[in-house]
Amino acid sequence: MLDLFHYPFMQRALVAGILLAGLLAYLGVFVVLRKMAFFSDGIAHASLAGVAAGVLLSMNPLVTALIASLIFAVGMFFLEKKTSVSSDTAIGLIFTTGMALGVLLMSLKSGYQPELIGFLFGNILMIKQSDIIIIVSLSILIGGFLVVNRRKIMLLALDREMAYLAGINPDFFQLAMYIVLAVSVVLGIKILGIILVSALLIIPVSISKLISHSFQKLVFWSIVFAEAIVLTGLFISYLFDLPTGAIIVLTGAAIFFIVFVFKR
Amino acid sequence: MNKSILQVEHLSVNYNGNTVLNDLNFSIKKGEIVAIVGPNGSGKTTLIRAILGLVPYRGRVLVNDQPVQATLEKIGYVPQKFVFDRTIPMTTGEFLKIAFKNVEPRKIKHSLLEVDMKQHENTLIGNLSGGQFQRVLIARSLLNDPSILLLDEAISEVDAVGAKGFYDIVAHLNQAHQATVLLISHEINMVYKFADQIICLNRDLICFGKPKDAITKEVLEKLYGQEVRFQEHKH
Repeated sequence: MLDLFHYPFMQRALVAGILLAGLLAYLGVFVVLRKMAFFSDGIAHASLAGVAAGVLLSMNPLVTALIASLIFAVGMFFLEKKTSVSSDTAIGLIFTTGMALGVLLMSLKSGYQPELIGFLFGNILMIKQSDIIIIVSLSILIGGFLVVNRRKIMLLALDREMAYLAGINPDFFQLAMYIVLAVSVVLGIKILGIILVSALLIIPVSISKLISHSFQKLVFWSIVFAEAIVLTGLFISYLFDLPTGAIIVLTGAAIFFIVFVFKR
Repeated sequence: MNKSILQVEHLSVNYNGNTVLNDLNFSIKKGEIVAIVGPNGSGKTTLIRAILGLVPYRGRVLVNDQPVQATLEKIGYVPQKFVFDRTIPMTTGEFLKIAFKNVEPRKIKHSLLEVDMKQHENTLIGNLSGGQFQRVLIARSLLNDPSILLLDEAISEVDAVGAKGFYDIVAHLNQAHQATVLLISHEINMVYKFADQIICLNRDLICFGKPKDAITKEVLEKLYGQEVRFQEHKH
């Protein structure tokens, strides 16, 4: 069993899985507080345009997807701020435009595209060394930002006006959180894929809410459950040769169901 | 003579071409309790929000002779409604802890004690009643030793007994902290005996002064557009 840790692909999968599970679980608390699940889903789907552009231009699709997600996150912020377009509508607009652009770009490249399939459904076991460098460096950067500004971020998530009155620049931190969330979601696509990545933001915090009696415990248990879900899913999928992304999500759903039943 | 802590000069607010506040001028002295009264839609909440810089306005608002943005952390504010996800497991203590930078635990305990909520430090905020949560919001506004407290219909969710308790707390804060208090209220009888100054607002400033001088049956009729019964009290 322990032999599998000797495989470089498994070592990369573990590093990416542990880092991104913790990052997305922490962000999940913010997402649930601000009711932004649709935002993360929208960014994930819209990033297909970036993935397709990367494949078409023979560049690393993770890099082009990150660039696309940055553009979409900033675009969404200004659409909400400068127009009367509501948040949901802005997300819907970006979501469908990005997907449509991705489909169009994919149609320009003939033949089977395994990388595109990998991004759609995720494959943590196929993470490359170049991806790991990007994942580790961006995770450290984002994690540092979140730790340093945790009070400001949570206050903003709770109430924008209170954040302003506490001397926090709400526009700056909202834009920063849009960017952080967009980048983290795209990194998470390497594990779960465009279609399932929101699960790592939503499921751990949903389980944690069932058992937590303070905010501190909510954050703690969200991260613990996220790590447990990713690692358990990873090993099950490896042992039984099953699709990793789907098994990770189903593991999370099973844990949620078990906790829910025992807490009743 | 007490120094002026809040100066409002030629304050006007317009929304989509409609005048919500029209050329208001008044100033409030340090340590006073000032009540804003007026019918629904008269601009009371907009006035508080303009003072805080939460809505765009024309004119000038100075707190301690400074623009409000420079003194935000010295202003305590309790909104009319605070909408949040009540299913989020956050204790009262945690809610207060994230309010400002480096809030000491003893300060949290003391603030809760002042609003008679000390026993609820570990209660989830989602489990508090409307009245209890309003008290927590007042405790929260005290954490930074505010020089001025703005209370926007802070008793909208409490019953008559709770309202009496609320006014007692405000009087205590005014005495113990020398905090200037600006509050919105619909309780004409209560503010008549409780406030040092009263602002009658209906887009324009209808009256401003000591309650016994400013509130007359004629002023109230002009303010509300109909006869209003109230009981005069001796100060």
